[in-house]
Amino acid sequence: MSLAETGFLTIEEIKKLGKYPSEERFKKGPVAVIECIQEIPCNPCESACRFGAIELGEPITNLPTLNEDKCTGCGLCVAKCPGLAIFIIDKAYSDTMATVSFPHEYLPLPEKDAEVEAVDRSGQVVCTGKVIKVLNPESFDRTPVVTIAVPQDKAEEVRGIKRL
Amino acid sequence: MSAFHDDDMLVCRCEEVTVGEIKEAIRQGARDVTGIKRRTRAGMGLCQGRTCERLVQQILRQELGTVPEEIGASTPRPPVRPITFGTLAGGDSE
Amino acid sequence: MIKKEVVVIGGGPSGLAAAIEAAQRGAEVLVVDSNLKAGGQLFKQIHKFFGSSAHRSGTRGIDIGTELLEEAEKYGVEIWLNSVAIGLFQEKKIAVERGLDVEDKKLEIIEAEKIVIASGASENAVRFKGWTLPGVMGAGAAQTMINVNRVLPGERILMIGSGNVGLIVSYQLMQAGADVVALVEAAPKIGGYGVHASKITRAGVPIYTKHTVIEARGDKRVEEAVICELDEKWQPVAGTEKTLKVDTIAIAAGLKPLVELAVMHGCECIFDPLLGGWVPLHDKNMESTYPGIYVVGDIAGIEEANTALEEGKLAGIAIAEALDYISSEEAKKLKDETWERLKGLRMGPFGEKRMLAKEQLLAAAEAAKGSAEEHQIAASAGA
Repeated sequence: MSLAETGFLTIEEIKKLGKYPSEERFKKGPVAVIECIQEIPCNPCESACRFGAIELGEPITNLPTLNEDKCTGCGLCVAKCPGLAIFIIDKAYSDTMATVSFPHEYLPLPEKDAEVEAVDRSGQVVCTGKVIKVLNPESFDRTPVVTIAVPQDKAEEVRGIKRL
Repeated sequence: MSAFHDDDMLVCRCEEVTVGEIKEAIRQGARDVTGIKRRTRAGMGLCQGRTCERLVQQILRQELGTVPEEIGASTPRPPVRPITFGTLAGGDSE
Repeated sequence: MIKKEVVVIGGGPSGLAAAIEAAQRGAEVLVVDSNLKAGGQLFKQIHKFFGSSAHRSGTRGIDIGTELLEEAEKYGVEIWLNSVAIGLFQEKKIAVERGLDVEDKKLEIIEAEKIVIASGASENAVRFKGWTLPGVMGAGAAQTMINVNRVLPGERILMIGSGNVGLIVSYQLMQAGADVVALVEAAPKIGGYGVHASKITRAGVPIYTKHTVIEARGDKRVEEAVICELDEKWQPVAGTEKTLKVDTIAIAAGLKPLVELAVMHGCECIFDPLLGGWVPLHDKNMESTYPGIYVVGDIAGIEEANTALEEGKLAGIAIAEALDYISSEEAKKLKDETWERLKGLRMGPFGEKRMLAKEQLLAAAEAAKGSAEEHQIAASAGA
């Protein structure tokens, strides 16, 4: 089953592109994971990055490529992506926990420190998470970005929370 | 499955024309959207066929096995949107 | 009779883009729009748009709408609201019913040098047992309810159709507070962008491909929907029926170009299912087979707002050129740039087929023009 049949990506489909950050890079701290595998006419991620870490070029149907050494994991691209397909993963958050940052365009927003149900790409609850921060500055243009802490082995799976 | 071939099902909501009536019109010789319209009034109501035209085309295709070019579309006539008689009466007389 | 240099029928993205482009180069432009506010579908699009960051992508449709209205005002575009074009007659005369209340309604006849038809599209209906029950509606109608009128059509929704409209409206219904119980798609694959689909699967919405709705049940309104699997011949597979508790069935089964006005004035059409059905032929200036009448946006083939904006610009530039507000060199440069952007928007697996369909349409228009000219030459030779 693939994205076009189920509506969600599997980690295998994403990794097959060869653009997934390396384990070495994950060990260094937060990094962007771009889950964009279809050639659609779209390029705002490229200019969203201040560090030039996302390359796309012409034509605008090219897939974005992350330069993992330039990426600081700042998360500016997360709110900018119209497809809501960029996440920040920090596997170095603690010895046991990782954080996942994702766009969350639903009200009400979760509160900091709240316990939430973390879901995978198909919407299945996989574990509980703790809300670390909720960012919603004007520059994000009404796309709040929520960061939650989850067990490290769930960092590749968790991509959101259940609507509150 | 019977749910797909329900002769009582409405097709044109404005003029309350059913699938069965459209099929009957085809049996009587209707071969395109205009033929159906003349025989049943499907597409002659308030919405001027904006909702049912495609459904009528589907039934024609299904019954006759014809291509869209043969089935055609209905001939648009003014007013293409419903207007009041007052507007017509008070209209520009030039 | 009122005389205007340029009249644009429909103030959606393509119509406004045409109006702005022509007006900023000096043309006198009137936009006739049937709604309380111009902007077409843009003010329902609360999501961020795809496209090139050089041209407003990443901006929400509602904000693009506001920007367009500001630009239109800046360049002196006149906009008639609550004004419905009810007929188009030779020679380029438009009948418009103007006014909101019955007492104020008035019929105006406008004679225009150039007409841009940007009348958009209507939603396709799907028929199934019970499809006329209250609670069955177009996805676009549901979107108008939540994003324009701020009314929730229901609390438990079944969405039919997985094109971008079905996917986006499902997402927005959840943002508005409803639950989307499921989305069904008759084809074996999801029609719209995977990233849009992923937004709703992440929220727990199951997408059933190779499925359709066969019945809406309920007393006075929708209370249940029956869905079932389809086989390779698109026929329901007995025994696969599932009953879902829903109060609303939203249908996103594609759009149909609203070509009535163009046809009424004698613009030639061709049938292309990829473009939504019957579509007026047009050349690279977006001019129909009837000189001086242009077609842009969804009426010229169902696409999306970004391509609609660019098509509108093409017509606006061509009109400014035809009315001698800009030189043909300048017009060529502007049109070439616009075509480059259009090409970019039509690339990739989702755009390719539309690009091809549009190319065929352009070729058919050229052929029609050629035969019309031959006809004229033959006629004048005969005389």
